[in-house]
Amino acid sequence: MTPELALEIVELTVEHLLLVGVSMAIAIAVAVPTGILLTRRTQLQKWMIGFANVMQTVPSLALFGFLIPIPLLGGIGKQTAIVALVLYALLPILRNTLAGILGVDRAVRESAIAMGMTGRQLLWEVELPLAARMILAGVRVATVTTIGTATIAAAIGGGGLGVFIFRGLASVDTTQILAGAVPAAFIALLADGGLGWAEKKLSPV
Amino acid sequence: MRPLVSFRNVSCRLSGKDVLRGMSLDVEAGETLVLLGRSGSGKTTALKLVNALLQPSAGEVRVEGMPTAAWDAIRLRRRIGYVIQEAGLFPHFTVEQNVGLVPRLEGWPAEKIRDRVHALLEQVGLPPAQFAARYPRELSGGQRQRVGVARALAADPPLLLFDEPFGAVDPVTRVELQRQFLALRREIGKTAIFVTHDVREALLVATRIALLHDGRLAVLATPAEFLRAQGEEVRAFLACLDTQVTGC
Repeated sequence: MTPELALEIVELTVEHLLLVGVSMAIAIAVAVPTGILLTRRTQLQKWMIGFANVMQTVPSLALFGFLIPIPLLGGIGKQTAIVALVLYALLPILRNTLAGILGVDRAVRESAIAMGMTGRQLLWEVELPLAARMILAGVRVATVTTIGTATIAAAIGGGGLGVFIFRGLASVDTTQILAGAVPAAFIALLADGGLGWAEKKLSPV
Repeated sequence: MRPLVSFRNVSCRLSGKDVLRGMSLDVEAGETLVLLGRSGSGKTTALKLVNALLQPSAGEVRVEGMPTAAWDAIRLRRRIGYVIQEAGLFPHFTVEQNVGLVPRLEGWPAEKIRDRVHALLEQVGLPPAQFAARYPRELSGGQRQRVGVARALAADPPLLLFDEPFGAVDPVTRVELQRQFLALRREIGKTAIFVTHDVREALLVATRIALLHDGRLAVLATPAEFLRAQGEEVRAFLACLDTQVTGC
């Protein structure tokens, strides 16, 4: 491996991590509160889950493409890539937040209310701690998927490790493809392991 | 003296079904009123009207003279202890945290909560040194139910509600818990409303029995009167006593 290649791997890995990190932060910030809200709005549930489901079924390359002509959100570059990655990451987090909170034992919820907890106390002291593991499992799935999908961001100028892969594909250069694929796979494994560990540490239940 | 809880011509309609129909009933301070009835007779619904988990569709339920609709629901509930089947303990809280919950919500100082929790655990027969730090999953069904009772007593509420509290434990543990309930009542003498479908349990713990049938109050009597009472539903329940003796 030449020093130039090594340097570029480091650079693009950092860029990749940044793409994934920003996308996941936004996805969590949107999906968890939305999930909580949906547990209180039964009618909205199937609409929102439906929307997130549809987003998941659009082929990723196509989604990146669709976003390019959309004003404000779209265009060429990182911003569009992040929008697409966020849309993909929403579903697993949303679904697990919903399932985690709705899965809290009815007797536990009822006694919390009967003991005079306010809605906020019920959420923060009972529902969220008991759903935390489930929510984190959703975050883990979403993160691992996003790390892989983010390689496609390079197709619309989003940068990241996908740059190697597209370059390698264009020039039929296996070294280049591996320079992108191996670090991406490695990051995914690390994220999976780390979040899996956190999940096990969380809550004694 | 003014009754602690008073049902005035209360009806309750839940998902299109009349669960309670025009029930009137006073619960005096210090008594243990048992709501007895079959599944679907409306007894649990009646109980949930007292701590405003449900609201009547007609009539009113008064607690300490004030309709539950006029109470701040949070304040009302913190003045009422609630024990349900399977205890409904918080699985992520230790025994100590479970029992100390309402005092903590009420903002008691930590020291006072600790002393109160430990005294209560002693009282229900769970030595704190051994049990305070355990999680509910590390307890037997009977022990969980004791923690549930301790938790309901924590903030010293004037009224306790029991919804088939001993329904999910084995018969031997059940008898132990019933004995303890009676002992506890002698010690602290609180007002209690106790829901059960077990006529034996009703006769054992009640100072008065209210038999519900199809959402109506069928009979209201002391245990001694209840045994002599007339009416089809009373007979049906008393027949259970005979079946249990001769049937097996």
